[in-house]
Formats: sequence, C-alpha cells, structure tokens
Amino acid sequence: MTGMLDDRRDLVAGVLGDGALVPTVREALDGVSPGLTRAFCVVPRVPGPASLGDLDDVRLDREVGDALVDALEQVQRAVGALTAGGRLVLVLPHAPLMGLADGAAASAVTNGVLSMARTLAIELARDGITVNVLAVDPAAPSVRALAVALDALLSEGGADVTGQEISLTAGTDLGRLRP
Amino acid sequence: MSTHAPVALVTGGAGGIGRAIVARLAESGHRVVVADLDREAVHDTATAVPGAVGVVLDVTDPASRTAAIRTCADLGGPQVLVNCAGVLRDARVAKLDPADFRRLQEVNLLGPLALTRLAAREMAHRGGGAVVNLASRAWLGTFGSTAYSTAKGGLVGATRSLAIELGPQGITVNAVAPGFVETAMTDGLPPEIRRRTLDAIPVGRAGRPDDVADAVAYLAGASYVTGQVLPVCGGRSVADPYAA
Repeated sequence: MTGMLDDRRDLVAGVLGDGALVPTVREALDGVSPGLTRAFCVVPRVPGPASLGDLDDVRLDREVGDALVDALEQVQRAVGALTAGGRLVLVLPHAPLMGLADGAAASAVTNGVLSMARTLAIELARDGITVNVLAVDPAAPSVRALAVALDALLSEGGADVTGQEISLTAGTDLGRLRP
Repeated sequence: MSTHAPVALVTGGAGGIGRAIVARLAESGHRVVVADLDREAVHDTATAVPGAVGVVLDVTDPASRTAAIRTCADLGGPQVLVNCAGVLRDARVAKLDPADFRRLQEVNLLGPLALTRLAAREMAHRGGGAVVNLASRAWLGTFGSTAYSTAKGGLVGATRSLAIELGPQGITVNAVAPGFVETAMTDGLPPEIRRRTLDAIPVGRAGRPDDVADAVAYLAGASYVTGQVLPVCGGRSVADPYAA
C-alpha cells in the first residue's frame, strides 16, 4: 500500500492504494491548490485482462477478493483520518468500469468500488465528508483533466459535490449506458 | 416434463425469491435444478415443483459448485444459470470487519463468478444459454451497506463485461436488481423503517418474489438482450429513495 506523501502534495491530498494510476494521480496533484480541509485519493489495484475461462478459483480469490479487501482497508484508513469537510476521491480505470471482453475480474473490482463509493457518499454525508469517483484512461491519461477535476472536488465549492462519477476520457463513452 | 426441456440451475433456489424463480421457470417449460445450502428446503422445493431436481450447493465451495454443474450436465446441460444465492450482513464502513466483508464477497460475488465460469463452458458446448445474476438496488448505494453494495456492484460490472465476452458464444448475461421485496429476511424490519421504506416506493407497495421471478424469466429467454441491469424496485431507483 502506498502511504501518504511527504512533500507538498501531502498538503493537497494523501494518496492511498497501489493501483497503476498512482503516478498519474501524484502528477495531477502537482497542479492542485492546497485546500482548506484534509483529502485523500484512493487508487485501488485492478486486475489485468483475463478471459472467464482463465479465471480459476485462485485467480478470482486473489485478483478480485484480495483487491476489494485492500480497497476497503484503504478507504477505512482514509475515512478514519477525515473529519467534517474532508474529501475522499476514488480514481478508477475507465474501460473496466464500462465493460470489456476479458474484463470480468477488472469490472468486478472497479464496479464494486464504484458501488462502495456510492454507499460511502450516502453514509458520510451526515459527517460532512464528500465521496466522488473519477474515471481515467490508464493508457492515455489526461493529467490536466484529472488535476482540474481534483482541484474542483477539493476546493471549498466541492463541499456540495458528493456521490458523483466523472469520466475524464474526452467523451469516449458517449452513447454507452453507464453502470 | 419433457426430457428435452431446457435445464435451468437456480442457486439460492429454496429461499423466498429463489423459490419463486424456480416455480416461474418450471411454468415456462424448464427443467429446474434447485440448488441451495438448506438440504431440507431444497427437498421441499424440488418436491413441490414438477420436474425439479434438488442439489445441495455451497456457492463458496469449489467441489460443491462442480457437483451442481455435473447434476445439470446429467440432465442435458445447463441452458440457464440464475445466480440468486446471497447473504446480507453488513455495517457502516468504519465498523466493518474486513473478514466479514470478504466473506460477503465470497458468497455474493466470487462464488457466482466461479459458477458462471463452469456453466458458461457447458453452455458454449451446447450452442448458448443465459446467465441471470441477482444484483440489488443496493448497487446504487445504500446506507450501512458497504459490503453488500460492493458485492452487488461487482456483480453488475462483471455482468457487463461477460455479456461482451460471451455474446459471440450465444450466451447472454444480464442482471436483475430487486429493491424491497417481501421475504422472511425483510419480515423482521422495525415498523418505522418498514413504513419509511414503503413510503419511498412510487408504486406504493413492497415487491413480491413473483415480481422478481417474472423479470428473471424474461431475461432467461431474451436472446437479444444482454449486459443489462433491470431494476425491479417499484420505481424507487428513479424516485428519491430517502423521501419519506
């Protein structure tokens, strides 16, 4: 698990998780203004492509079960450190969220975390903590778009935005039903 | 019951919703394999439904899953798999034990995916089939339901990807997302919670197991519908679920 950062980015948001998008999130945080409140970005680990036939019990347990438990523990660590006004942002890869061939395991993890975020947004609203999801294309991530979105969510005005899911993929999902 | 009747495997088939699905699929001409943990309930359900066959199934146990699929194969092979088995024991995120969270994923997500892998192989050999996953309106988020909503969201995500992957093999994969349904599990709700829940449902009543069974039966036979999630919740998913 990646710990909280110890440079200026830590003033903006701690980064938890060991997903492939961690470097992208760190880079984006360089372009975000330090907010008034504590914030965390959770970047869960997501399995790579595998056909259903290749997803034996061991792989399901490790790649889906372990990943979801780790995501829960990362979220619990973040929530435990947040107080009223705090912000939690989960950053996920876009393609498995939408669905793709050989993506059952990745989709199970990303959509599981998506639903976890929806529930957390409802639960934590009474504590004044916002929870949102940003979806990014790991193959061609727009660091600028991610920085802009994080800046908005972590800003003072972001207090009124929770339970939302934003795809930062230049409209590549237009015309598709979202999960 | 014809020996050529399509075989449908229903996990959790002896529970409140599962039993209604079993009855509904039998009415529409399926030979139903009733699979559940509760041996006695399996026997009762299989005895009550014409042509049904009972099998004890623990969806978290690989040997048990293999035995259930073998039972289907002996009857001609599964053409329909309904992943209905599930448990609901949850807590707010701060109080949620990761071990309990994991157990709930095993029953509600990993077990169904493992069973789908076995069933899809059989279906592909026989030219196709249908998988219907019982998700939940909790996939949209529900207070105090971190583990359950995660599992059901995971099942919805896998449904979408598997629909894309298995479509070329003639296998459809869909999900039904029930809302509040009258079952033994919901009988014990405190009256005030129950009233508030019912007040938030636009059609003004709780769901019945048959409401869910009708949706499952439709998706089991709809060869041009795949990758979809059909909420069966009296409209609560488009209304304000906390309006009451």
